[in-house]
Amino acid sequence: LEGATGLYFPQNEYTETVYVGQLAGTPILQVHAMLDSDSERSHFYLCWTNPLRRPAYSSWFNLDINTGTLSLNKTLEESDFASLQHSWSVKKLFLLAMVIPTFTRKSQCIRNSPRITLDFVNATMPQCAQTDMKELCFPHRDTSNPHIMENRFPGALRQLRRLTRLNVCPNYTITYNVESDTPAPFAVNENTTELVVTAPLDREESECYRLLLVCTVRTETLITKVETSLDVFVDDEDDNAPYVNATDTADVIISFNRTKGGSFGGLFVFDRDLTPVYPIDQSQNKYVGTLLNNDPWVKETFAIKGTFSEKKAALGGIRETVHDYQLVLKRNLYVTENRTLQLDYLVNDTTYPGLEGTVLLHFNVTILPVHIRFANVTHMFPLARRASFYAQVGRVCVENCHRFDGFRVTYRLQVPDKNASADVQSCYAAISITQAPDDMWGLLYVNDSEVLCRPECQDLQYLVVAEEEHTQLEASTQIHIILDANKASQESQPYLSCAENRRRGDCESVRGLGATTGRCQWRQGTEKGISENYSTCSPDLRTCPDSFCDAVESKDASICPQDCTKETVTGGHERGLRNGIQAGYGTCYCYSERCFCEKEDIPEAKCDDMCKTIIATAL
Amino acid sequence: IWVQTRGCLLKEVHLNVTDLGLGYQTKEELIFRYCSGSCAEAETNYDKILNNLTHNKKLDKDTPSRTCCRPIAFDDDLSFLDDNVVYHTLKKHSARKCACV
Repeated sequence: LEGATGLYFPQNEYTETVYVGQLAGTPILQVHAMLDSDSERSHFYLCWTNPLRRPAYSSWFNLDINTGTLSLNKTLEESDFASLQHSWSVKKLFLLAMVIPTFTRKSQCIRNSPRITLDFVNATMPQCAQTDMKELCFPHRDTSNPHIMENRFPGALRQLRRLTRLNVCPNYTITYNVESDTPAPFAVNENTTELVVTAPLDREESECYRLLLVCTVRTETLITKVETSLDVFVDDEDDNAPYVNATDTADVIISFNRTKGGSFGGLFVFDRDLTPVYPIDQSQNKYVGTLLNNDPWVKETFAIKGTFSEKKAALGGIRETVHDYQLVLKRNLYVTENRTLQLDYLVNDTTYPGLEGTVLLHFNVTILPVHIRFANVTHMFPLARRASFYAQVGRVCVENCHRFDGFRVTYRLQVPDKNASADVQSCYAAISITQAPDDMWGLLYVNDSEVLCRPECQDLQYLVVAEEEHTQLEASTQIHIILDANKASQESQPYLSCAENRRRGDCESVRGLGATTGRCQWRQGTEKGISENYSTCSPDLRTCPDSFCDAVESKDASICPQDCTKETVTGGHERGLRNGIQAGYGTCYCYSERCFCEKEDIPEAKCDDMCKTIIATAL
Repeated sequence: IWVQTRGCLLKEVHLNVTDLGLGYQTKEELIFRYCSGSCAEAETNYDKILNNLTHNKKLDKDTPSRTCCRPIAFDDDLSFLDDNVVYHTLKKHSARKCACV
């Protein structure tokens, strides 16, 4: 049965050094495969990704089919070295190995073939006197850490002896043993000097064993110990069923947020196994979910979105998987929709071999209708008769409007008394309402400032009507604009942009566009450096600058360019997230949309010689 | 024949970004290039007439602009990190080419 084999290499790379003059038959290194059962046998072969294009040096080597020992087929000559291209003093020879449970004649590599890298040195092997103890014990450049599958049959995983150095120092006795801080099922087979795993491993118990390999070299006079550390990693397989921690039921109430894509009520499913994200097509521990409701309304309205992440368990720090399931709206819900239902969702861990690989989740969903209504019956807005064109009067919004998502409410103004005289009717031109496309607030602003000055326009009452776009549900409220008693002089002065003024004196004497009091307002920054609290001249400091270009401000670039400019700002500044100036240096001012921020060195009143004389005289 | 160039020229100076006085807090530096020099060579009859009219006080309070040495092209943008690890980019901050305009 092909594919059922559990044979695998615990290591994906082997390295060794070979020298000119090494004799035919010399062993170089040994590869190991991990078995699945006692009856299984491994058969090792050298292999190639493309057998037709195998390198010429491949015939120099032989891999023993039973032991996995790589040895030389021929004595390495200097001419062999010269036959390889490039003229470095060390050449790298690459070989690939494969293992299968039966005999084969094919030499095409199967998946996960480990690479054998041989450094071919253009020199003869150093003699015993020239060889470091470390070199006798361990390869000097071996960074490959073994990986062992959990729940598998124990066995040998690595040859510790350097086979190329077996006969370099014939008088030395070299032995190995393995140590570790915590109990670890590893040992050294003294007969074969192989590192052996003595029991099946469990990744959910320990993901990595940190071993200390100790090599003891005995000469006639001396005992030397050389140590190196080795991390053995335990690979995961799906041997744990999914489970829920506390609850398998989520209560979901959908009211103000009814937008397509909105997600509700996460339920968590835990799995002590890992879920690899790469390679992408891998199915290990990936869950398959099924919505068990067959109601077409449910199917077109709801979906379950599952995401997973990896976290470390509180105890032991072993990694595990947490799946998060959320209810997602597939369409915008109408404000009138009103029902309760239960959604059942079956989560299936498809690669879990046991019986209990599923979890059933429940979402108890309540969809509440949204009532479009105003909280207050009447709104009062004081307004100065001197208020300029585009001055903001106030904001209106239906109850809970800031929580709305997935539907839109628009506002319009209505004149309550349609039978009034033409003169009175004309007064109502004073105020308008506007709204940003992404905003639920209606902004009231002055649309005709000349009207405000007329004495006959005293009592401005409107009806604000809010309408929901899909259902045409309406609500209304009365607003009352209370004009102050101050008699505004009919100014012939044209409106200017407040933002043009760089000094407090100029600013506060200007009749600015959007100014609620008729005059521009000055903000004095106090901080040094580039600050959000920069100095500037604004029509209304409550709305400008506030780093937000609102629906009224966006009607004309001259109202509040500090919040609305789309152009490059000159001078030290930080741009806002969308438009405008987030922070500026010194004073920020703008001509139309072109803004400048700079610190003006206002000369401090120095006391010159003349001044000193005056003071001296005065004293 | 070697003629010394006079008049409007591109000059450069090595500065800290803080020297620019734009309020940025940073340790970064830059080469700042600027235009300076006389534009007398570039004057036309227009400039001579304006000069005479101003001198003779024929132009009330107005003093019209004279030819002056200004950049006609700017260096590439300069980006730097400030002390709070925020990126800033200066545009049109340094001259590349000068002319009397």
